[in-house]
Amino acid sequence: MNQEELNNKLSQIRDKLIGAEHKSDSRIYLLCEAENSYAVNKFLFEDVPLRFLIATGIDSEDCFEVLYHFSNDETGCVVTVKAFIRDRENPAIESITPFLPGAEWIEREIHDILGIEIKNHPNMRRLILADNWPEGVYPLRKEVKK
Amino acid sequence: MSWKISSLKKSIWVFHVNTGACNNCDIEIVNLLTPRYDVERFGIKLVGSPRHADALLVTGVGTAQAAPRLQEVYRQTPKPCVVFAIGACACGTGIFNGAYHVVGPVDKIIREVDPNAIIAYVPGCPPKPEAMISGVVKMLSVL
Repeated sequence: MNQEELNNKLSQIRDKLIGAEHKSDSRIYLLCEAENSYAVNKFLFEDVPLRFLIATGIDSEDCFEVLYHFSNDETGCVVTVKAFIRDRENPAIESITPFLPGAEWIEREIHDILGIEIKNHPNMRRLILADNWPEGVYPLRKEVKK
Repeated sequence: MSWKISSLKKSIWVFHVNTGACNNCDIEIVNLLTPRYDVERFGIKLVGSPRHADALLVTGVGTAQAAPRLQEVYRQTPKPCVVFAIGACACGTGIFNGAYHVVGPVDKIIREVDPNAIIAYVPGCPPKPEAMISGVVKMLSVL
């Protein structure tokens, strides 16, 4: 799939997005609210289709962001879905593991260290924190003291 | 020199413990055993159990999860034994200083079990195999 076909495909989900940034031909950001991230990711993975690389969780003080990175291997273009979670008290996002098993561990890790609830995750157990780490303390949140 | 120390120095068998290293130091330790450096010609041999070991090669920063395991491994190692802290993380927590998962450095974790433990430090990120051999030689010369 070349760049033009990719752009055409991406324009089909424009109504689910709140913005798109074409930084360059090899770096595209799709901005969306957390409620739409499941549909956008499913579209990118199954209908475009792109290869899932990894997800990133960020605490950006006024909201949480979960970034899903996809690669178009033919052109080397990386498409990142940036999902904003506005609710800081009970942050939650839909799991993409049901259709994308490779995302299982990174979603568990995001849940461990940022405390974002991953809804409908099939295997939500602690992954990387120590066994004696207290429940409800999320080490990479901004309010946690260093 | 006591007979225990003199027999310890003859042919050091080592057990490798990773306490949260990034694997770079571990790769260099494996490098020690390859034909290029071949420390087995000095009798230094990697063994599969701490109960067979004379020395522990500890890499990594000493995470909260790994610290009790490292202490258990140290308890099971026959005394006298030598602990080598391999790499910047093991020597002084390096770039992970103050991070939420760190309880190290390695010497602090070991000294909680045995205040008189013999600990050698091989700094570097990662230390060269030559540096590790040099560290072993220096350790043996002061024992």
